[in-house]
Amino acid sequence: MTTLTPKTPAELAEIVQHAHETNAVIVLQGGGTHQSIGNPIAANGREIITINMRGLNRVIEYEPNDMVIGVEAGMTFAELDAIVRPNGQMLPLDVPLPERCTIGGALAVAADGPRRLGYGTLRDLILGAQVVEASGRISKAGGMTVKNVSGYDMMKLYHGSYGTLSIITSANFKLLPRPRAAATLRMGFESLAAAFKLVDALQASQFTPAAVELICDAKHNGVSLTTQIEVAVLTDGLPDAVARHERDIPALAKGLGSTTLTVLHGNQHDTFWAYVADLNQVADLQPDKLALKLACLPSQLGDALALAQKLAAQHALTLTLNARAINGVAYLRARGANANLQAFHTALLAQHPRLVVMGAPEALRGKLAIWGNDVRGRDIMQRIKHEFDPQGLLNPGRFVV
Amino acid sequence: MNRIAFIQALEKIVGKKYVVQDKAALMLYEADGCIMETHAPDVVIMPTSTEEVAAAIKLAREYDVPVTARGSGTGLSGGSTPVFGGLVITTTRMNRVLELDTRNNRVRVQPGVINFELSQYLMTHGYHFAADPSSQKACSIGGNIAMNSGGPHCVKYGVTGSHVLGLKLVLEDGSIMWTGDGTPDGIGYDLTGVNVGAAGGFGFVSETWLRIMRMPESVRVVLALFPEIRGAAEAVSEVIASGFLPTAMEMMDKWVIKAVNKSYNLGIPDAAKAALIIEVDGVDEGLDKLLAEIVSICEKRGALEIRPAKTPEEQINAWAARKNAFGAMGRVARSYYLVDTVVPRTKLPDVLEQVQRISEKYDLPVANVFHAGDGNLHPLVLYDRTRGDEDERAHKIATEVMELCVSVGGVISGEHGVALEKKNYMPALFNDDDLGAMAALHECFNASKMFNPGKTFPDSCPPGALVARRRRILGDKAGADAVHIGRAAALANGGPARHGHHDQQQALDRVVKQGAWV
Repeated sequence: MTTLTPKTPAELAEIVQHAHETNAVIVLQGGGTHQSIGNPIAANGREIITINMRGLNRVIEYEPNDMVIGVEAGMTFAELDAIVRPNGQMLPLDVPLPERCTIGGALAVAADGPRRLGYGTLRDLILGAQVVEASGRISKAGGMTVKNVSGYDMMKLYHGSYGTLSIITSANFKLLPRPRAAATLRMGFESLAAAFKLVDALQASQFTPAAVELICDAKHNGVSLTTQIEVAVLTDGLPDAVARHERDIPALAKGLGSTTLTVLHGNQHDTFWAYVADLNQVADLQPDKLALKLACLPSQLGDALALAQKLAAQHALTLTLNARAINGVAYLRARGANANLQAFHTALLAQHPRLVVMGAPEALRGKLAIWGNDVRGRDIMQRIKHEFDPQGLLNPGRFVV
Repeated sequence: MNRIAFIQALEKIVGKKYVVQDKAALMLYEADGCIMETHAPDVVIMPTSTEEVAAAIKLAREYDVPVTARGSGTGLSGGSTPVFGGLVITTTRMNRVLELDTRNNRVRVQPGVINFELSQYLMTHGYHFAADPSSQKACSIGGNIAMNSGGPHCVKYGVTGSHVLGLKLVLEDGSIMWTGDGTPDGIGYDLTGVNVGAAGGFGFVSETWLRIMRMPESVRVVLALFPEIRGAAEAVSEVIASGFLPTAMEMMDKWVIKAVNKSYNLGIPDAAKAALIIEVDGVDEGLDKLLAEIVSICEKRGALEIRPAKTPEEQINAWAARKNAFGAMGRVARSYYLVDTVVPRTKLPDVLEQVQRISEKYDLPVANVFHAGDGNLHPLVLYDRTRGDEDERAHKIATEVMELCVSVGGVISGEHGVALEKKNYMPALFNDDDLGAMAALHECFNASKMFNPGKTFPDSCPPGALVARRRRILGDKAGADAVHIGRAAALANGGPARHGHHDQQQALDRVVKQGAWV
């Protein structure tokens, strides 16, 4: 097992070419924040070369007034933020552990964040990409403009492909102006059903929250929750619009049964959302925890989470969770005996096939259906994998094909 | 196997009434809005269901006939032009909204639904579909998906690709699959995403789940008139830099103002050489202050007159000029060649001046009406195709404008697509390795090359050849030999037929003689 840290795309290309010729296996590593996701690498006796992408961390191009930036894949989100923040700009994706999580890693795993409701994910923000292919050749797609239909949208193919098709070396993104004002509205509820009444009302309303996060978690990182169940709303934009949300949403929540209200601004607001983004991190997961990502139609989320809580109680597990409540995405963390965790997972998977294991106790790995049970178009995906990486050089075995 | 048997079998699938085979009628399908190159299909069908489409595609595969999908024919890059003839499947009768699910912000529609009609329908429920191309009164959702269409409101809401949740695809073997249904974060490769903007080259989209958005609570629009275009372009940059993302920022130059003034009597003064429309939306609070800020930016940049629009009626008036710009151009020129390119937003003022210089060099006026907020230019070369060498000069202008845009870091198409019109410009942006990756993806869906052949890839390197080269580099020699080169390469000696029916017929005859099909 060798670890190499290329400093340029050309160096990386050379390594890949060498691996291609010697039939080695390449494992990609950015900040290491999402390595626990996926099946173990199927090296089958081939040499494994780990590529640390952190050496590729330069800005390729940044003209602030164009509001686009091109950066290498090994740059972290914190590094990128430090570059664009002085110009009043942002890449509006709050990944877990931004000090460690790299751009390339987030693209590879299609990471999301609480503000996906208002700003989308990297899928919507990426404008172009350069990759090193399994042959060691470098190719690119897209460009540096905010609108572009020149050629196929290869960025969509690479986004969420877990480094199994090509290695992203750099990517271009659309930046947005930092909002002039922002506030957090944290509303506590005594039941999940009551919390979802607010979620449903917000979904149907003309309010424009950037995030609506449902949190069932204990005290964590110094941010204490006032109740067991909280709906946190992030409102940002024009100061008067933020004030309107501050006034009307708590009133709406109160009418629907909220029992507590906390409003945050400034540093407290920033700290809180950093905490929310980190809730579903799996880099430092306790060894007896099972971390899952559940996706369903937004209308099914309330029932899905109620089921998860019921199953957790049945199997004597403690369960904490946070959910992008209007999007239909939830992150669950269950803790307890391995056999119980496995039974919990099996029962939940039977009802919710789009269930991904993001981290699990060592003894359970290999026993769980890591990628859930809802892959649509596996034949075509296999064809794509074979066409892009016929030798199975890149992260073999880790993903669904 | 022969043509007659093929057509008879199609008649059994969709009914005789919905099979077009009359030569004069087929001429209607020889191009979309891009008439630089025309080819008539051999037969057209008008199915109503996925099952009919699948049966026709299976049949076409059996007969080795190319298949091209066609929506309303409003495309501007030749996406629905059947370069090698064959079967055209129009979605005209696949025009139903099948399911509205506001709780999950989604709607399921057939591909022939007209963009504007969908908007009207959704509006009654308080929702909208974000992509709103200027042709929205006629263009179809299927065409929007094939071309990844944009529109004025994409500055804030993004293009079609961000609003397609899932596609029902009929694949080359006639099988049917859904790529998604609105459940977020699909597991595996993003088969929905890669199909948007693929010009129908991967499969036939027979249904789709689209994302819908709640209508904003409030909207404000400003129409600002400037004595010259530079001031207007600078105002665009300043508004964007001021920390609020407008919903739309649209620009028109003196030629367009002249045309719309003549057509719609909007009373825009002659001194105005540029008009800028800026729209903002959201909850009501804050919008008036923002509007005042935008007005003051425009004043600082030398605006002659500013018309803020608060009521829906005022807003419709402010938008009237822009929405009707293309139609009005008939008042000032017999023909126009619309070039769609994008440049980095800071390059706009300089590029507009350069475009003016190119216009003077070839002595043909160029009108500008475009999505300024995105840097998406739409120079309209005004000419008369019946007069002298104007057609040739118009094309030279288009080429130079594209070269200019690429030279400042721009791209060859922002929202109209590459398809047929710009495929031979692709090498200006992409080398063989870049194109090879795209061809590899194309191969995974369309190995037979039956879907919309002759598009996206330059004539000099068709997808089959690119894939074979790529497989050789990847060391997959056996795979390289197995590539189905397809009809494009079969025609390589003669090249695809250009300009008209007769050449196209000759090209087809060549294929027929080679025994490729029918």
